[in-house]
Amino acid sequence: MKSNSHILGVFDDPDTISSAVDELLKNNIVVKDVFSPFPLEHVWKKLKLKTRIPLATFLYGAFGTASVYAFLYWSSVVNYPLIFGGKPANSLSFVIIMFVIAILSGVIFTLLTFLIREKLWPGKHVELPDPRTTDDKFVIVIEESQQMDEVSVQKIDDLLKSSGAVEVKISNN
Amino acid sequence: MYNTKVRGVLIEGNKSYHDISVDVTTPLLTDRTPKWWWIASALASAMLIWGIWGFYNTIANGIGTWGLNNSVSWGWAIINFVWWIGIGHAGTAFSIFLLVLHQKWRTSINRAAEAMTIFAVMAAGMFPLIHMGRIWDGFFIFPYPNSRGPLWDNFNSPLFWDVTAISTYLTASFLFWYMGMVPDFATIRERTLSPIKKKVYSILSFGWIGNARGWLRYETAAILMGGLTAPLVVSVHSIVAMDFAAGIVPGWHSIIFPPFFVVGAIFSGFSMVLTLMIIVRKVYKYENYVTKAHLDAITRILTFISLIMGVAYVTEVFMAWYSDSPYELYVFFKNRLVGEYAFEFWAMVSCNAIIPQLFWFKKMRSNVTVVFIISILVNVGMWFERFTIVVTSLSKTWLPSTWHTYYPTFTEIAIFVGTLGFFFLGILLFLRFLPMMAISELKGILKETSNDKKIIENEIK
Repeated sequence: MKSNSHILGVFDDPDTISSAVDELLKNNIVVKDVFSPFPLEHVWKKLKLKTRIPLATFLYGAFGTASVYAFLYWSSVVNYPLIFGGKPANSLSFVIIMFVIAILSGVIFTLLTFLIREKLWPGKHVELPDPRTTDDKFVIVIEESQQMDEVSVQKIDDLLKSSGAVEVKISNN
Repeated sequence: MYNTKVRGVLIEGNKSYHDISVDVTTPLLTDRTPKWWWIASALASAMLIWGIWGFYNTIANGIGTWGLNNSVSWGWAIINFVWWIGIGHAGTAFSIFLLVLHQKWRTSINRAAEAMTIFAVMAAGMFPLIHMGRIWDGFFIFPYPNSRGPLWDNFNSPLFWDVTAISTYLTASFLFWYMGMVPDFATIRERTLSPIKKKVYSILSFGWIGNARGWLRYETAAILMGGLTAPLVVSVHSIVAMDFAAGIVPGWHSIIFPPFFVVGAIFSGFSMVLTLMIIVRKVYKYENYVTKAHLDAITRILTFISLIMGVAYVTEVFMAWYSDSPYELYVFFKNRLVGEYAFEFWAMVSCNAIIPQLFWFKKMRSNVTVVFIISILVNVGMWFERFTIVVTSLSKTWLPSTWHTYYPTFTEIAIFVGTLGFFFLGILLFLRFLPMMAISELKGILKETSNDKKIIENEIK
C-alpha cells in the first residue's frame, strides 16, 4: 500500500461484511480490498475478481504431456530403439507416464504461478492492515484519495457503521 | 447446493472463530512440551535407530542378510512397501476426494491425514531403495543420458511407472499439504509472542495476507491441485498392483488386482486415520472438532469398503476354481485356504472382511474403544493381505525342488520397525510444530455447520 491513507471497516461476521460490500458498491465507493481469515466466495464475486489460473493449469498439463511424449518417442524410437517383450517401440503404455507427468507438471507449475502472481516467497515481510484478520475479524479497506473531502469520508464512515462494522479506523499506510 | 444438515453439527461446543485459532494453535505455541510427547518420541527414535542399524547391515553386508531365497525373491521389503503405500493413500483420498465432493466434514481431519500420507509414502519409498542392494546406484532408475548407449529405462515396465507415480505422488501431496498450511502459518505468525517462533512461522507463511484476490487465487489453485492429484490415488496403487499382475506368477496374474489394490489402500489408509485421530482427539481434547459424527462417517465408509474387500477375496478364489488352471487351483486351494500359510490367509479375511461388519451396529460405531481396536485390526489384516499375496505365490513355484518357506530375519524386522519409528516420529513432530487442523477451513464451515448460540443470536440481530 502506498502513502495514501485508508479507511478500514472491521467486521466480525462473514455475512455482515458481505452485505456491507453490497452497500458500498451501491453508493459507488471503490472497495480496495477485503481481508478475511477464510475465503469469502460472495465477496470476490461481488468485487468481480477473476483469475486465469485454470487456463494456466490446463496449459501446464498439456505442456507436460507433450514434452514427456516427445522425450519418450525420442529415447525409445529415435535414439535407442529396443524391443521389450514384442511391444512396438512407440508403445501404448507411454500413456501412463504421460498421464502422471501431466499431473506433476500441472501441480508444480500451478503452485508456482500462484506464488508468483500473489508475490509470495519464504520470509517475505508483511504488515497487515489489522492483524486480527488472520484470527476472527474481517476488514474492508477503502482508499482515501486526495479528492475526498471530509464529508465523503464521513459518509463512508457512516455507511460502514450502519452496515454492521464493529469498528472503523483510519490507517496511514 | 448441498444441504449440510445431513451431517449435523461438525464443530461442537459453541466455538467462535477466535476459539478455533486458540484451540488449534495452543499445542504448538506453548513452551512446555508435554511429557507424553517426549516419551513417545523417545520410543519412536529408538525404533528408528534400530531400523538404521537394519539399513546399515543390509548395505554393508548385502541382501543376504534378509530371509529371501531362490523362489521368494520378494519378501518383507515389498510387503511393507505396499502396506505403507496403502496407508499413504489416506491423506489424499481423504482430503482430496472429499474436497472435490464438497464434503465439509473433512476439514478437521484432512491436515493430519495429509501429514500421514507424506510420512507413510516416505517410509514406503525406503523399501525399494534398500531392496536395490546397491543403494548408491539408485539413480539408475531415472532416465538420464548415460554412457551405456545411452540405454534408457524400460518405459513399458510397471516398475518404472512405479518410480514416476510414487515420486509424483509424494511431490504433489507434499505441495498440496504445504499450501494448505500457508494461511494457518499466517495465523500463527500473528498470534505468537515468541520472537523466534514469529520469525520461523513468518518464513513458513510466505507473507500470506489473506485478501480477497489472494483467497480467490488460493481457492482456485487448491481445487485445481486437488483435482489433479485425485486421479493419482487411483493410478499409484493400480501401478503397484501391476507390478504383480503383469507377472505370470499364479495368484498374481489377475485382472482384478488394480481395483482391488486401490480399494485396499483406501481401506488401510482410512483405518490408520481413524487410529491416529482417536488418539489425537483424546490427547489434545479435540472431541469438539473430531466428533463422534466424524468417526461415524469414517466407520460407515470402512464398512462399505470392507464389503468390497470381501467380494474381491471371494472373486479371486472363485476365479481360481473357474479358470481350471491347475497352478491357480493349487495356489488358492492348497496353499492359501489350507496349508502352510492358512493362518495368514484367514487372518486377512477375518480382519478385513468379517470383523469390520460389526460396524453395521450403531452401538459398535459409537463405541470409541471398539472403533479403535477394529481400526488397528484392519491394518494388521491389510499387512497379512500383502503377505499372503507375496509369499504364498512365490514360495511354491513351478519346480517343487525349489520350494522354500520364507521367514524374515532380524534385519528385515529391524527395517520394518525402523520405518514405523520414522512414521511415528514424523507424526509427533507434526503434532508439536505444525497446525494439525486446517484453521481457515474450520472457520469456513463453522457458521453453516455449528450449533453456536452466539452466531445464531447475531443472525437474529
